[in-house]
Amino acid sequence: MLELVDLSKKFKQNNAVKNVNMFIEKGEIVGLLGPNGAGKSTAISMLSSLVIPTKGDVRFNNKSVIKHPEPLRRVIGMVPQEIALYEDLTAEENLKFFGRIYKLKGNALKKKIDEVLDQIGLTDRRKDIVKTFSGGMKRRLNIGVAMLHDPEIMIMDEPTVGIDPQSRNYILETVKRLNHEKQMTVLYTSHYMEEVEFLCDRIYIMDQGNLIASGTKDEIKRILSAEKAILIKSNRWNDTFITSLKQDPTVNRVIVEEKEITIMVPKEINMFSSLIRIAEDAGIELNSVDIKTPTLEDVFLHLTGRALRD
Amino acid sequence: MIGQIVKKQLLILLRNPVQILLLVGLPIILIAILSMALGGTMSGEAPKINLKIAFLEHGDEEEQIDRFVSDIEQSALPDEATEAIRSNTSQVAPIRILKDHIFGSDDLEAMIEFHVVEPGEREQILNDSSYTAVVEVPENFTYEALGSMVLGGAAPALQISVNDEQQLGSHIVTQILESFQEQLTLGTFLGKKGMDEAVLQVEETFGEVSIIAQKNPITTQGYYTVGMAVMNVLFIASTLGSIAFMEKKTHVFDRMILGNISRWTYFIGVFVSSSLFGFIHLLIVYGFSWIVFGVKWPDLVAFFLVTMAYAIAIGGITVLLTAISYRINSEVITNFFSAIVVTFMAVLGGSFFPIGDSSAVIRMLGNLTPNGAGMSSYLTILRGDGISEISHHLLFMFLFALLSITIAAISFPKRRAS
Ligand SMILES: Nc1ncnc2c1ncn2[C@@H]1O[C@H](COP(=O)(O)OP(=O)(O)OP(=O)(O)O)[C@@H](O)[C@H]1O
Ligand SMILES: [Mg+2]
Repeated sequence: MLELVDLSKKFKQNNAVKNVNMFIEKGEIVGLLGPNGAGKSTAISMLSSLVIPTKGDVRFNNKSVIKHPEPLRRVIGMVPQEIALYEDLTAEENLKFFGRIYKLKGNALKKKIDEVLDQIGLTDRRKDIVKTFSGGMKRRLNIGVAMLHDPEIMIMDEPTVGIDPQSRNYILETVKRLNHEKQMTVLYTSHYMEEVEFLCDRIYIMDQGNLIASGTKDEIKRILSAEKAILIKSNRWNDTFITSLKQDPTVNRVIVEEKEITIMVPKEINMFSSLIRIAEDAGIELNSVDIKTPTLEDVFLHLTGRALRD
Repeated sequence: MIGQIVKKQLLILLRNPVQILLLVGLPIILIAILSMALGGTMSGEAPKINLKIAFLEHGDEEEQIDRFVSDIEQSALPDEATEAIRSNTSQVAPIRILKDHIFGSDDLEAMIEFHVVEPGEREQILNDSSYTAVVEVPENFTYEALGSMVLGGAAPALQISVNDEQQLGSHIVTQILESFQEQLTLGTFLGKKGMDEAVLQVEETFGEVSIIAQKNPITTQGYYTVGMAVMNVLFIASTLGSIAFMEKKTHVFDRMILGNISRWTYFIGVFVSSSLFGFIHLLIVYGFSWIVFGVKWPDLVAFFLVTMAYAIAIGGITVLLTAISYRINSEVITNFFSAIVVTFMAVLGGSFFPIGDSSAVIRMLGNLTPNGAGMSSYLTILRGDGISEISHHLLFMFLFALLSITIAAISFPKRRAS
């Protein structure tokens, strides 16, 4: 239904998006993952017809969106990464204005506004000026505005940043329900793996402008089937220990965090005894050792060498 | 949709009471302060009129009088008649009256710089733009004038060349001479008493002329009402320009684009709201000044016309600021405009003091700013002149708006390429 074909975007010297190919079918929820600066927002802006690509095409029902953006614009709802609201207007006035843009009026508009306010849980704050809202409330309204015209395709760019867990769950449930009940198609960008795990059927992973992986959740996880992750914990690390780990021929990769280290090794390797020995030699006291089944986060680490959230 | 955009802009504006207070309150406070501080400098007196007149005589008056008397004596008139004429005419020297008692009178002395020049200097004086007028007395003027007085017939005419750049002064000199000429034809100069009367009449004409030139003298409050109103409404342009750029920065503009709102609808929305708010702003300030300072408008139709033209120019400035800030993706142009350009335009346009009085070039430059043209128009109609006197300013404001809109439309980004 919606396709990105060899899509590239260059900002002066900066190749923000390089030759990306993607597709989204009707009724799907597709996840788009990538670290900061990967090019997700840029790709989304091109896909939604806001930014003209340097190269390539965006196709909606096999017609170029670049030449004729109107049909796509009519059916997409966009939740931008930024809070795109009038801070000086009330929640209701914002909804009213954007509703009018989509040619809603009178009772239909009123009903829709009530419905959306209910969905984003802001009914009792409807008369308040957005400026006085908390960050999470603004986020919720930012989503609400995109739902006014019952879009067939919803594009959400990190919609839940800064929202408390209850509201987040509520929103995720709403997205899932709309997808279920109205076959709403969703492209969902997030830094939260669990959201993507919960929502998405298929996933694209971007890094430094490139699409580096794509597939269903299972397919993506299978990328890691040749490896396993060993998670060790201690109160402190030292250089000797980390260097020895990295020099161990059986270790593929070491990711160091303050109190945790993740060691990636081939699936068949059992390095439990050698791990204990290295720790003893370096004078490190291990608090725990865990073998983890791979998560999306691990896939991500594997592919990009970076944690999703820095 | 344009209506929705205007409504929304108004709501945003109204949600910022400080902004409103600055936009509307500031000019009112400034009018009060400036009128009080500078009161008197413009307190309803006639404008300072400075006439520089060159006076050129072709021929000698005394000689002509003598010649006339001797011609009369040799004529066939009865002796008593000849005697009566001689005694009268010896006191009648129209040119001397004009020089000494009219142009040289105590009342006019302060305003008139009077130079008697030689025929040889004529060309040079005519080319000297500092002169208001050159008055020339033809060769046989006095002889013919006496002839027409005594024997009847047409009176000879003085020649006057006026300087078109000094319209007011030229007008006054012409009026004085016309009045003088009229007295001459009526023969009022005959007899001592008659002469005084004639001088009085001419002076009265002068008074009338200066009053006509300054139909309603402009009060300090009037001056600063206009000055502050035309200056402060410029801030409507920067305020709405900022709101428009904020719409780009916060991506609500993107939301409109995604809602299939054409960027031209948006553009027109910005223009209409700015023109409308500018119009309302002017009405509020002028209305307030009318109630509080008694600044009344003699010709309301002309007033509304000027206000409309200027409001449209304000709309033009707003879309220009909007288009440029959208293009360079920065608010710096709008800030620069409100911080520096407005002040500069205000000074040049005469908002703080009548800067144009000091030089014709500055006056012209001032009138080439929309606020300066607006100010000149307002002052002109405040003085009591009609629409015809300000048509060139009105035209300028419309053209300015048209040019701004055109440049804005050309530079407004067609579609986000970056
Ligand atoms: N308008 C722009 N002009 C110049 N460079 C840009 C512009 N927009 C994005 N970039 C650059 O393009 C690259 C990709 O940015 P983008 O916002 O698409 O990343 P992202 O994946 O959405 O990151 P994040 O997770 O932080 O939102 C970055 O290097 C960014 O600096
Ligand atoms: Mg982004």
